[in-house]
Amino acid sequence: MTDATDPLSAELQGPSPRQMLKSRAFSHKGLMFGVIVVGLLVLVALLAPLLAPHDPYAQSLMKRMVPPVFMGGTWEHPLGTDHLGRDYLSRLLYGARVSLLIGTVAALISGVIGTAMGVAAGYFGGKVDAVVTFLINVRLAMPVVLVALAVVAILGGSLTVVICVLGLLLWDRFAVVMRASTLQISRRDYVAAAQVIGASTPRILLTEIMPNVFNNLIVIVTLEMAHAILLEAALSFLGLGVQPPTPSWGLMVSEGKNMMLFEPWLVLIPGAVLFVLVLAINLMGDGLRDVTAPEGRS
Amino acid sequence: MHVKLPVATLAAATLMASSAMPVVADKASGTLNVAFTKELENVDSYFNSAREGVVLQRAIWDGLIYRDPETNEYIGNLATSWEWIDDTTLEFKLREGVTFHNGEAFNADDVVFTVDFVAKEENGVKTQRNVNWMESAEKIDDYTVRIHLKDKFPAAIEFLSGPVSIYPNEYYAEVGPSGMGLKPVGTGPYKVSEVVPGQHFVLEANENYYDSPKGQPEIAKIDIRTIPDVNTQMAELFSGSLDLIWQVPADQANKLAEMGQFTVANESTMRVGYVQMDAAGRSGDNPFTNKLVRQAVNHAINRQELVDALLQGKSKVVYTPCFPSQFGCVQDVTEYEYDPEKAKALLAEAGYPDGFTVDFYAYRDRQYAEAITSYLNAVGIQTNFNMLQYSALRELNMKGEVPIAFQTWGSYSINDASAMVSQFFKHGSLDNAQDDQVLEWLNVADSSTDPDERIEYYTKALQRISEEAFWAPMFTYNTNYVFKDEVAYTPTPDEVLRFVDMSWK
Repeated sequence: MTDATDPLSAELQGPSPRQMLKSRAFSHKGLMFGVIVVGLLVLVALLAPLLAPHDPYAQSLMKRMVPPVFMGGTWEHPLGTDHLGRDYLSRLLYGARVSLLIGTVAALISGVIGTAMGVAAGYFGGKVDAVVTFLINVRLAMPVVLVALAVVAILGGSLTVVICVLGLLLWDRFAVVMRASTLQISRRDYVAAAQVIGASTPRILLTEIMPNVFNNLIVIVTLEMAHAILLEAALSFLGLGVQPPTPSWGLMVSEGKNMMLFEPWLVLIPGAVLFVLVLAINLMGDGLRDVTAPEGRS
Repeated sequence: MHVKLPVATLAAATLMASSAMPVVADKASGTLNVAFTKELENVDSYFNSAREGVVLQRAIWDGLIYRDPETNEYIGNLATSWEWIDDTTLEFKLREGVTFHNGEAFNADDVVFTVDFVAKEENGVKTQRNVNWMESAEKIDDYTVRIHLKDKFPAAIEFLSGPVSIYPNEYYAEVGPSGMGLKPVGTGPYKVSEVVPGQHFVLEANENYYDSPKGQPEIAKIDIRTIPDVNTQMAELFSGSLDLIWQVPADQANKLAEMGQFTVANESTMRVGYVQMDAAGRSGDNPFTNKLVRQAVNHAINRQELVDALLQGKSKVVYTPCFPSQFGCVQDVTEYEYDPEKAKALLAEAGYPDGFTVDFYAYRDRQYAEAITSYLNAVGIQTNFNMLQYSALRELNMKGEVPIAFQTWGSYSINDASAMVSQFFKHGSLDNAQDDQVLEWLNVADSSTDPDERIEYYTKALQRISEEAFWAPMFTYNTNYVFKDEVAYTPTPDEVLRFVDMSWK
């Protein structure tokens, strides 16, 4: 008990690994930026009904394409209105829900699929590994956008279809990274020790392997989330993603495209928030990698 | 090697395209540069159904008769006079001394060949209705010809002045529709000097053009390029590599007019925008089989607001499934005013107090379609929005799988109600009403040669269609033509770009 308060022993012990992680995280500018921006956008998405000044679906054809405040508009519509007179800010806020929902759920679905495949391949090796590697190669040979376009064109665009298609297409990176990490970890002595004392396979996977590959997993989740958000925007831009009147940033860019020459803000505003969100998620992912695996930092 | 080849070809094609692009595109060069939005499947006017095809058809070929677009008067063109021999026979005296662009002389053989070819269904003319009223043609002498009709068809003169143009018999027999598409030959004011599918068409003035009511061509050369994107078209107009663009959406046209460097001319078109509903229940049991629901849809849409805010220009609200100027398109029908409360009440009365959800289809003007769905959503009709290509939607519609859709119809600029209402309400595969009473009346109206009787029966049919609310007709379209100030042109209300009427100031 006295040891802990003894200044000398505290100095000898140094900060705990958790404290070190914390201080590294807080001093990492990219990570902080990413976390704050993503946090803010999540908050905005959750509170959209409270924050939005208007109903995002309320059409008012007599007030079409009102410019935003900084371009001579009024505070009634801070970011102006779209081609059907719907409030742009409200649509942007609700659009954050669509983007984040698709990003999160698609990353989760592909995360579960990819992790299961990767860990199984890495731990069991042999035939399981051969099958998984084959599946990964098949998946890598398919161009994601093309397949997504084709499937959505056949099934028809909707939020559910887009989420499922993206979730089922983006598991390749999870599988590749999880397989490599598991392969490395499963040769460690503590895994051998667990096997020797007769621990069951699920127990080894859950308590010995998973905690040690978790850091890598988090990084891939963020990368794939950004990937899914961009793909949704691309699909919606092409008219195959989320269908109107649901607000989606990609759809907003597409709807503003025709007036791009005269009303560039119609495209610039959703384009900018999309850019900021994806940048923030990527910075967060990079930051997490740097912080959790300091030896990998150059 | 296989990978590199297309890249090299593409690069070469781009180079060629850029070198073919005129450096100076104005009065001085004598070339008028025009943009088309859509690519034509075939320049042969019988084998495409696009507006761009009609434009080329009027420039390259001539019909027997010409309708003055301003006075709507019928004047002889390739024919000098005509008369009805009986209810189903028309006799024409043909103009002498006319030659086709390739030097072939025009005479009765050309008329007989063209009519016999296009009237045969197995030859696959794209829009059968334009030609399937003709049975055959008969040569009386070199400059006299008779056209035999299958049945009484009072709109014959209108069709002969519109989509039915005369082709050179020897050349057409040799090359067929595909050859005609690549190297078109007609008698018209412009001859085609170049066709590069998907890229551009070059027309040159026909110096030997006969004394046609169309007038003589004044602009020596017309270069038409396919540029699908409106923004690109406008950018090229700014940079000077285009002189004339058309079908410019209202918002952009307003902005271009504000700039003061271009002439923006607005003209109405025969196109009518409407909401089609599956009243016959072809797509299975659906709410639109109930008349109250269809009336609710009619009351839910604010037509005036759509016209004022979105279509603008010379567009008008319509309640008839035809264009008001068309013969027989009587305007004395039920008018459904905008009344969302009444729409909700009608839905409740029909047994849908909380509304329902339905698949909504559209193929063009996404903006209008979205605005319409938004009106429907406001009264409780939730819509799953589906934007399809025209051909895909048409096919789906023919199979009867479309519960509700935003559609438009341009009547091929034929100034007769039969070109629209009879196209959709005579139990064809596109008829979503399948109403026997309407069919019966339309049959009388379409085949009677007595104008008063025709009007009487069209009135009956149109009144029933609006009373039963089979459709929700909404508005007529307009189109904006934007051109450089040095171009002189007055557009006509039939959405046909007439190169022969253009000149340099």
